[in-house]
Amino acid sequence: MKKVMMGTEAATMAAKLARVQVVSAYPITPQTVIVESLADIIGRGELKAKYLPVESEHTAMSSCMGASLAGARTFTATSSQGLAYMHEMLHFTAGERVPVVMVNCNRAMAPPWNLYCDHTDSLSQRDTGWIQYYCADAQDVLDAILIAYAVAEQALLPVMINLDAFYLTHTSEPLDVPDQAEVDLFLPPYRAPHKIDVDDPKTYSIVCGADLFNSIKYKRQGDTLAVARLWDQVAEKYNSHFNRLHKTVEAYRTEDADLCIVGIGTAAGTIRLAVDRLREEGLKVGSLRLAMIRPFPLEALQRAIAKVKHVIVIDRDVSFGAEGIVAQEVKAGLFDHRGDLKVTGFVAGVGGNDVTVDTIIPLVRQAISGDGNAVEAGMSLWAEVLP
Amino acid sequence: MQTKIIIKSLAELPTAPTTIGTMAWNQTGDWRYVTPLVADKLAPCSQNCPLGIPIPRYLGAMNRGDVGGGLALLMAHNPLPGLTGRLCYHPCQTKCVRRKIDRTISIQKMERYLGDLATDVTIEKSAIKDRRITVIGSGPLGLSCAFYLGCRGYRVTVLDPSGQAGGALVDLPPEKIDPQALSHEIDRLVRLADIRLETGAIIDFDKPGELPAKADIVILDPTGLPEDFCAPAGAVVCNPFDDEAVTGGIISVQLPQNLAPFKAPMIAHYIAAGRLLARKASDGLRPAGLAQPAADLPLQAVNIDNIKIERFPASGPLVETESKQEGTGDREWALQEAARCLSCGTCNLCLQCVSYCPDSSIRPDGEKDTVAVDLDHCKGCGICAYECPRGVITMEDMSV
Repeated sequence: MKKVMMGTEAATMAAKLARVQVVSAYPITPQTVIVESLADIIGRGELKAKYLPVESEHTAMSSCMGASLAGARTFTATSSQGLAYMHEMLHFTAGERVPVVMVNCNRAMAPPWNLYCDHTDSLSQRDTGWIQYYCADAQDVLDAILIAYAVAEQALLPVMINLDAFYLTHTSEPLDVPDQAEVDLFLPPYRAPHKIDVDDPKTYSIVCGADLFNSIKYKRQGDTLAVARLWDQVAEKYNSHFNRLHKTVEAYRTEDADLCIVGIGTAAGTIRLAVDRLREEGLKVGSLRLAMIRPFPLEALQRAIAKVKHVIVIDRDVSFGAEGIVAQEVKAGLFDHRGDLKVTGFVAGVGGNDVTVDTIIPLVRQAISGDGNAVEAGMSLWAEVLP
Repeated sequence: MQTKIIIKSLAELPTAPTTIGTMAWNQTGDWRYVTPLVADKLAPCSQNCPLGIPIPRYLGAMNRGDVGGGLALLMAHNPLPGLTGRLCYHPCQTKCVRRKIDRTISIQKMERYLGDLATDVTIEKSAIKDRRITVIGSGPLGLSCAFYLGCRGYRVTVLDPSGQAGGALVDLPPEKIDPQALSHEIDRLVRLADIRLETGAIIDFDKPGELPAKADIVILDPTGLPEDFCAPAGAVVCNPFDDEAVTGGIISVQLPQNLAPFKAPMIAHYIAAGRLLARKASDGLRPAGLAQPAADLPLQAVNIDNIKIERFPASGPLVETESKQEGTGDREWALQEAARCLSCGTCNLCLQCVSYCPDSSIRPDGEKDTVAVDLDHCKGCGICAYECPRGVITMEDMSV
């Protein structure tokens, strides 16, 4: 059914369609719409679920872990500072192998306080072991959450679905809402394989000596790496049900491109428009949206830029003392793969600065010619900086 | 099964880091340097009771719905509950911890309720011994003494020269104790302990073949005989509270000054004196070489700071059920009142400790009405002692 929805409403709708059984969350701008409307839906009895109005994000994630271990399909949502407050429990949920699905609304980390779009919050949680997916639009939000449950429950790993603050959380877009019956076919109820059972008591999150520790982590690393392919397989299955494909990497006009612009989140759409404009000028440009950052979709990336000579990465985030985090990831993925490849990283569009076609084109020109307004800081070039 | 499962390959590793099989092989008990000691302690009410009645225990039995069991527990320490329930100055109630929350438990009323019950109870008795004891006088001291000697298996006869059993109690005005209640109490005591009671008896110490001369011990009960009763020559004067040993012959019981002459509100003290005398007389009659039976260890007093009154909710308004007589209660009242007891120092299997133990190392004891610590695994964290709201569990240094 066609509807007009904001990204947050699409997330709520997806949680409802997934028939989540436990929602435990603490409100934070710009995520609040999601948890408020889920509380309403559960309160009205439209979704048979337990809503836990907890006192903090740390508890939200702890209770999600408990609920998931008890066999419930579990959902939560947060943003920025709230995500940071969950940090410890992010390690726990991934380590305990519980398939929690969480929406994170990408918002800048304070100080200074800023409610707008920035990817540093989730990218600084890269190493917790969560699967990370970055949405392009409201339809992607709805579909990716449903795919995320299927992937999470198969891989027994938690999935974080990321939405750009305001560009996606609070922008209304037309989208297609799938039928509940079709969703139920795609996503059967969760059957927890190592569920808490009073008749078979176990200790969870056990103490483990050096004898087994590395083996447990090695096994998890293998299972996490396998998610890159698993996601694409589940996405194909989703496509067969709903005729929409949401893969880990989305390439645009890269077949014959010399230059490829890489980004994550909503900026990818704007980047495609810039690609079209630059193509009109005769430049052989393409673009790549990395929908998945963890596990890093290495094979898909290497395939997509097989013929490209110059990669430009636009980061809405930074790892202080290094460079943009996506640029770092791309470089690490391509090192030893293509020796002749040039990578230019920009830090742009953080804290609510719009990334428009008119901001992208000068950055591309600067990457090619070396001349432009973006200023150098370490290995990256920063746009929108005071003179 | 306490075998440790050895994981030898990646395939055997569980996906989630959980235990597989049992962890019982991991005996963490040697981490412990303080040990939870589960031991019932004497409640403040019991400490102040002249008879040391374990009040929380019999109230606990009632709280489990076992009213007869409650009466049996009470009678093991007090064979005349209907009398103490009417006459005693109830020092137990002044120490009741519950008064800090709302109001004291009506212990005296409870004793009266239990005492007046028509139900019969079973009392623990030893095997019959071929020794005879005669108690002369059937006042509270004599009856109590006769009861405990009867329970120990002696052949006990109570002789009362007056026409009615009860001694000094007979002279009390009927509003203090009605004759019916008195005879109910005495009848039950006599029946339970297999005592022969003879009223209107002619006491002649010199006539051979008569009872006093045939008995191994003759006890003269000061609460059961007229003040001018003359002890025969050769009688040994004995204060049951102070004198260590009681030997055979005729024992003329002499009470301390505060208990003579008979004072009805002090009835528990006379019953206590009778009980004490029974124990000492029995010790004196034991054949040489026979080991003394293991006495119950005296309970340690509960530490009042360990009663966590803030964890107990105040009970609702007093429910007064209609009673025929002032100061009596019915079954509904009694069960409600028993449920209010905090059970100070006395495990009532609330299982708070069991719920909170992070290592499942404290569990209900299968055989006793208490909990037991699994010392192979208990790490001595002390959470059980902290959570016990009634001071039963204490952390002790067992290394000394």
